[in-house]
Amino acid sequence: MDKEALYQQRLQRIEKAINLEPVDRIPVVYMGVAFSPRYMGMSIAQFCNDPEAALNVTIAAMERLGDWDGINLPTTGRIHIVLSSLWLSRVGVPGRDLPPDSLWQIREAEVMTVEDYDYIIEHGWQAFLGYYLPRVVDMAEFGETMAWVGANVGRVTETFRQHGFVVVAGGAGTIPFEYFCGGRSMEGFYIDLYRIPDKVKAAMDVIMPDLIQGTIMQARGSGVPRVWVGGWRAASALVGRKIWDTFVFPYYLQMVNALAENGIISVLHFDQSWTRDLERFREFPAKKCILNPDGMTDVRKAKELLGDRMAIMGDVPASLFAAGTPDDIYNYVRDLVRDVGPTGLILCPGCDAPINTKPENMEAFLAAAHEFGVVH
Amino acid sequence: MSEQLVKAFVGLDEGGVLQHVEQRLKAGDNPLAILEDCRQGMNEVGKLFEQGEYFISELIMAGEIFKQAMQLLLPKLAAEGPAARGKVVIGTVKGDIHDLGKNIVVTLLKAANYEVHDLGVDVPPERFVETVKETGAKVLGMSGLLTISFDSMKRTVQALTEAGLRDKVKVMVGGGMTSEDVCKYVGADAWGADAQAAVTLCNQWMEG
Repeated sequence: MDKEALYQQRLQRIEKAINLEPVDRIPVVYMGVAFSPRYMGMSIAQFCNDPEAALNVTIAAMERLGDWDGINLPTTGRIHIVLSSLWLSRVGVPGRDLPPDSLWQIREAEVMTVEDYDYIIEHGWQAFLGYYLPRVVDMAEFGETMAWVGANVGRVTETFRQHGFVVVAGGAGTIPFEYFCGGRSMEGFYIDLYRIPDKVKAAMDVIMPDLIQGTIMQARGSGVPRVWVGGWRAASALVGRKIWDTFVFPYYLQMVNALAENGIISVLHFDQSWTRDLERFREFPAKKCILNPDGMTDVRKAKELLGDRMAIMGDVPASLFAAGTPDDIYNYVRDLVRDVGPTGLILCPGCDAPINTKPENMEAFLAAAHEFGVVH
Repeated sequence: MSEQLVKAFVGLDEGGVLQHVEQRLKAGDNPLAILEDCRQGMNEVGKLFEQGEYFISELIMAGEIFKQAMQLLLPKLAAEGPAARGKVVIGTVKGDIHDLGKNIVVTLLKAANYEVHDLGVDVPPERFVETVKETGAKVLGMSGLLTISFDSMKRTVQALTEAGLRDKVKVMVGGGMTSEDVCKYVGADAWGADAQAAVTLCNQWMEG
């Protein structure tokens, strides 16, 4: 089968899973951002600094591993710049701040101040970014990265397609909570939510339309009608109920609805446990979301509560890829398919298979997905 | 015990707690008794967390209120203060620079009256070993957000064994990706799914 025919077959399989229709085989998608260069012998410093090399090494790793239906979210541009922009945080860069073959790391600090909320309320999001970003990124490198992304984001999708792989999510957005939590640091931000809730909410409301627009633009630029809507520190396991009801869920609902109105599926890339509030996810429009948990949310409860509303993509835990055995992976996938599949399931590493994933574990994941994923 | 103070703590009423502490200090109340009430408030918040009523954000806010109350109380407390329940050495392991989870644990352990030796982030095995030896701490806590921390944790446990300290110290691990499997992999005694679990484990070990 030529690559385009293979691509079409895989795309159809993934779309059927999203639409909760029967599939011939449960789709299996790749996610191993830092694993790819490590697996292929490329330094992490090169992966960070050379977007073209990052793209090529990801495809090379996928091809070496075998028959994937697609990739969850490809790295587009310099990963540390992308992360700094998303979390308003400084990121330690391999080869610059850290050893060349080590993992990039967020530097948790209160870079954003309480006064910055006032600046946002008065001047808006775009003005704030111009004023704030020099605190967390080298603006020359930021400009270069954004120019590369602008010029190449569609080509990234196309390159995966030429190799027969579907890009599940063509960009990443999130709600104001996550931006502010990154900029203020988790501790500082959580305290703000109790001390100055009205100010935080006012700033959130100011930036929300820009965040929605930016996420729609990412989907349009990549040509993929699906984007990540990320959640990390807004998780139910982390924030109290009242906080979640006020500062978290209404914004996700607004984002998901706006994306759906624009024909875009939200990939709810939710790390940590969201089990407490899964019931609320029924308010999201049906078949317009994919729940993408990382192994900490009770995926069986998610299936029970949401199985008729959205597909589930996941959720083999990162710790299992790093510290488990191929048998552990095999058993996990078998049980996941039995309890959550076959309809509405897309097999994928939870969050991201980490840098120190044992290659035999990644191979076992793909083999298990093919063995247990066939629908008879 | 002042129920009003404990209630203000449980309600995360920062202004109410601080006002109450100030009023009692002004009235000449024993600062040790006030401190004990603050600890009781933290304890109640911890219980609510364990019952699934409170979450990390509430633990963080309660910890912040406790810190503020301590700032008022410290100048009034006698130098020797109450005897600590025990010593704990803690740090984020070599190769990992995340300190958020560890810092929450440190705050909660201090609030629970432990003497905490916080070694910071990116801590090599030998530094953990030296500090355990120097302090005679009965508990070592290792934190790591990333999966690359597992091997550093394992190396630290091996270093404790090589230094002949393994049977003298309980080892607990925690952080984003830790689990029962990881606990076994690194050779720790226990793991905690959240910051409050660290306090519970220390209490169990000190009582045992």
